Amino acid sequence: MTKRIRSKIARGSGELAILSLLAEHPLYGFEIARQIGERTGGALKFTLASLYPLLYGMEKRGWVEGRWQANQAGRDRRYYRLTPSGRHQLAPLRKEWRTFFHALDALAGVSHA
Amino acid sequence: MPDWKKLVRERIVSASPTVPSKEEMFSELAAHLEETYEDALSQGMTEEAATEFALQEVPDWHVLAEKIRIARSEEDFMNERTRSLWLPALANVIAAPALLMILQKLAIQPRVLWIGDMAMVLYLPWLIALPIFGAFGALLAKRSHARFVNRLFVGLSPALAVLGAFGFVLPVALITDRHLLTNFPFAYFALTIVNWVLLPAFALLIGALPFLREPVSPASHQA
Repeated sequence: MTKRIRSKIARGSGELAILSLLAEHPLYGFEIARQIGERTGGALKFTLASLYPLLYGMEKRGWVEGRWQANQAGRDRRYYRLTPSGRHQLAPLRKEWRTFFHALDALAGVSHA
Repeated sequence: MPDWKKLVRERIVSASPTVPSKEEMFSELAAHLEETYEDALSQGMTEEAATEFALQEVPDWHVLAEKIRIARSEEDFMNERTRSLWLPALANVIAAPALLMILQKLAIQPRVLWIGDMAMVLYLPWLIALPIFGAFGALLAKRSHARFVNRLFVGLSPALAVLGAFGFVLPVALITDRHLLTNFPFAYFALTIVNWVLLPAFALLIGALPFLREPVSPASHQA
């Protein structure tokens, strides 16, 4: 598998993970990274370097929008929320990944127990 | 503890001078590093180890700067600049003279100060109201996470606009009226600048001052 394809897969899975989280409630960058790490048992890990270019790209495409507001500790944080356009992206992305995993499962038997 | 915002700004700008410089972005990335650092401290790391741990979030600043540059287009940069600088400045430049026009419509008489044989026309209610416009402009810019310089520019924009108008009108007048070249009324010109630029700028600055400070850093919340 070329680096380019790996990069596309990483980006696509990252976007799906972020959109899925933001569909639940708005979050700021650090919280997005922390929750993805926790909820995947550490299998998916976002660093600053991998997270923010994705967020900025999604913001540019109008899928998410960032707004500054205070978090629970009273600190200003840039919270990202899903836009209607981002919400529309979620279902096709989920379908695409489901198809991808089914195909991989059929080929290599990688489905979980 | 490192000054995270300064660190982020320096590393990104030195890694890629062409990346759109956005204070908002630097603040956001710095906050992320700071929370990573604090998280590490709470797990028992020393300050030095926690700093190292936080910096591991960005293995290569050149790669990060390049990814951000690609993610954010020039158009986005223009939008940001428009949002945090030009629009607030335009609102302020329209609002402050509008009040002066209203005062003139209401036939509120200016005070006339005589300095020698030169008259200085002062609209005192307008000058007294100008700090509000200074505050209004600087606040608008601050809400858009504008830098200090931009907040100052927006706050003083009505006075700067007048200065700009003088800068345009004066050369035109000098070209069209040859008499001015040989007989330029320096004293009157200086008085006009004081009256319509410096005094308003001072009043605007008073209003803008509270909004010129950098936002409180996350660290200070802990104190």
